[in-house]
Amino acid sequence: MEVGLTHYLVLAAAVFVVGMVGFVVRRNVIIMLMCLELMLSGVNLTFVAFSRELGNDAGHIFVLMNFAVAAAEVAIGLAILVEIFRRRRTVDADDLNTLME
Amino acid sequence: MVTSRSAVMAACWLILAFLGSAGLYASLQAPFLAVMQVLVYAGAIMVLFMFVIMMLEGPVMPAEARRPRPWMLLGAVIPAGVILAMVIWTIKGVSLPAFPQNLPEGFGQPLSMAHHLLGPYLLAFELISIVLLVAILGALALGKSERSKPWK
Amino acid sequence: MIETSLRWIVLTPLLGAAINGILNRRLPKQASGLLGCATIAVSFLLSVRAVIMLAGMPAGERLLTDTLTTWFSFGPLHVDIGFMVDPLSAVMILVVTGVGLLIHIYSLGYMAHDKGFQRFFTYLNLFIFAMLTLVLGENLPMLFVGWEGVGLCSYLLISFWFKDDVNADAGRKAFITNRVGDFGALLAFFVIGTTLLPFLHEGEGLFSFAVMQHHAHHLTGVATLAALLLFLGVTGKSAQIPLYIWLPDAMAGPTPVSALIHAATMVTAGVYLMARMSFLFVLSPAAMGVVAAVGAATAIFAATIALAQTDIKKVLAYSTVSQLGYMVLACGVGAFAAGIFHVMTHAFFKALLFLGAGSVIHAMSDEQDMRVMGGLRKKMPLTWATMAIGTVAIAGVPPLAGFVSKDEILYETFLGAHGGFPWLWLVGFVAAGLTAFYMMRLLVLTFLGKNRASQEVQSHIHESPATMTMPLVILAVLSVIGGFIGFPKAFGGGAWLQEWLAPVFAGGHGAAGAHGGGHHNTSLEFTLAAVSTLVALTGLGLGYFVYTKRPQLAESARGWVGGLPHRLFAHKYYIDELYGKVIYRPLQKFADIVCFRWIDRGLIDGLMVSGSAVLALFGGSVLRLFQNGMVRFYAWIFVLGVAVFTVYLTFLG
Repeated sequence: MEVGLTHYLVLAAAVFVVGMVGFVVRRNVIIMLMCLELMLSGVNLTFVAFSRELGNDAGHIFVLMNFAVAAAEVAIGLAILVEIFRRRRTVDADDLNTLME
Repeated sequence: MVTSRSAVMAACWLILAFLGSAGLYASLQAPFLAVMQVLVYAGAIMVLFMFVIMMLEGPVMPAEARRPRPWMLLGAVIPAGVILAMVIWTIKGVSLPAFPQNLPEGFGQPLSMAHHLLGPYLLAFELISIVLLVAILGALALGKSERSKPWK
Repeated sequence: MIETSLRWIVLTPLLGAAINGILNRRLPKQASGLLGCATIAVSFLLSVRAVIMLAGMPAGERLLTDTLTTWFSFGPLHVDIGFMVDPLSAVMILVVTGVGLLIHIYSLGYMAHDKGFQRFFTYLNLFIFAMLTLVLGENLPMLFVGWEGVGLCSYLLISFWFKDDVNADAGRKAFITNRVGDFGALLAFFVIGTTLLPFLHEGEGLFSFAVMQHHAHHLTGVATLAALLLFLGVTGKSAQIPLYIWLPDAMAGPTPVSALIHAATMVTAGVYLMARMSFLFVLSPAAMGVVAAVGAATAIFAATIALAQTDIKKVLAYSTVSQLGYMVLACGVGAFAAGIFHVMTHAFFKALLFLGAGSVIHAMSDEQDMRVMGGLRKKMPLTWATMAIGTVAIAGVPPLAGFVSKDEILYETFLGAHGGFPWLWLVGFVAAGLTAFYMMRLLVLTFLGKNRASQEVQSHIHESPATMTMPLVILAVLSVIGGFIGFPKAFGGGAWLQEWLAPVFAGGHGAAGAHGGGHHNTSLEFTLAAVSTLVALTGLGLGYFVYTKRPQLAESARGWVGGLPHRLFAHKYYIDELYGKVIYRPLQKFADIVCFRWIDRGLIDGLMVSGSAVLALFGGSVLRLFQNGMVRFYAWIFVLGVAVFTVYLTFLG
């Protein structure tokens, strides 16, 4: 069977959605961050697939940027998490509800 | 990965996912990206994750002791399913041509990347450097250990 | 013809009321009284002048108008503040201002010791103002303003001594009962207005009497309905069945009030309304039949009650109701001129009787029960003489005024234009006999025999001062000669009043009475007159005989037919009690249960006030769930939003 653009796109979407579900369902903040990475991965896949389709490799640049942003985001996110852990001794998302009215 | 109980296992699965992604990129004629994926994501980011996981509570977090309640799962899965369905619907609705057989010369090669980065997308390149710089600074600032009393 | 002095006939009393009202006790009693009487005197003189002017005009064109300004104007609904004098209102204003003036003068003496003297004259002047507005109004809304105004003044004056609950209740009863009637009147206005609206020409005011009369033929379809509704208002104002109940209670007010309002003027407003709207009534024989029947029934009904009353004012009150029945009967058989004639003569002798009663009450130290009166003839000769004249007049003995007008009514009833209403004539005839009887009873019990009051009271009996006796004398004179103005031609009179009024009632049958308007049967007229006189004299004689020579007969009469008739009469047929059970109690229950408990407490307080609070709280507690601080929850909302958005894009994008 010819593996076409469709398959790649559907796969990318599936990855994204799985990551989304995981983000909402899990309580462990670390795993939530990892699911974020999954979502970003799905996006990247979409870009690369389209880039291949259109024969224009400028799309790869965006993916590169994505990598960098993801790295930055993880760094900061984990730093914050560590800080919270030091103070609250928990990484449970449900315990971190000081935004409540 | 999404369903694993232990954070460490989740991390391992994620590494596997990234490696898979790298392979996919390769199959899509993006060798540069494939390599970068492995280096950056699997190499740096996941290592960072591992660090933090180990540092904090250990492999199994007691926080996840309870399984997510069914209605929570359903509540999350259903909209997700809807989104997926919409995407598939849209894609199926449009007849996408197959991948073209001929690709430009040097497609996806580092040289081509360089031409882009130092060419039309120079601004993006510079900006992303700044982003990374800021991230470093932020992480440093946050990571300083303070003698702060745990606040409950 | 335009005559700008008309407005001053109406406005001068208003001025008097305003000054007296604002200054009140700062104005010394003498000045206040003088002002009150002077304003009415001015009105009276201006009225006389207007009538003289009117008389100088050719018969078919007798109309004076005075338009002040436009009240409101929405296209065809154009109503002016305007006055008009035609032969009908001419008669009315003379009676109102003339008799009114006499009563004002009388009040100077009667209310001399009252603390509310100035307030009294304020209300009296205000009343005259309202009554004149009613009579002089050139359109229905003006009439209605006056109508409501007299109702208000009636309330104010009846409950003049309001510190006593009985008086306050009486005033309230009068006002509310009137209101029920007014409701009917208003509905009638609307019916007439909506019916006539399509037919109006450019520039014609909808409710102007002249305009309505011009278009009267369009009202044929709704005539019965409108006339009956109007009649409902008449029963309220003119105390007919079923809305007469307020008038006897109204005797709680000072006697001059009873004389002015409840004998001479306000209660005749209903008759005036029917006369004014005669063009409507004649279109519906059915309605007129109802009117006649009610009038006759009321006449005899009230007469029977008067037989058994012991309070002198109550006897006179029921007598008024009965006489009003005659006036209504007259209108019902189409003899509008005769009805107005009786209005005039009744004003004379009834005011006389009331004022005389006031004189008696004054002398008897505010005692009103006839059972402790007697023998006043010697100490109050003037009052005695005038009241005797009044009694003879009301009984209907020729040639006094009462006879002429009452007989005219009875004649028209018998004859009519459709072959007459003999049964109604019979009723009126019997009522006339009863009238003579109970009036003589009153006279005997009050003035003849020996006085039955205590020594204390007896020592104070004295004739009233001149301010009180002078009006009595004048009214007595009028009661004697007042009839000549309308004496039928058959008896050698000139029937001037009927001729004067004829153009107003041109559409009505039998309107001119003895003036060739319909059938004219001289011998019948003589016969009926003779019979009426006979019954009057019989009544008087019988009354004199029973109460002077055979008082035991009166006593034992109470027991006749098992005592039932006496009990019925004395207790006013228990009508008030009946109304209480059938109307007041259910209404009160309705007001309490439905209005107060269900609507006021339940709906408004509970549902709307508390309810909106509950709604706010509830809504708030729901919305609060969205602010739980749970990041995952927020993320979930994101997901939901994205899902919706993708659906939208897919299908609608």
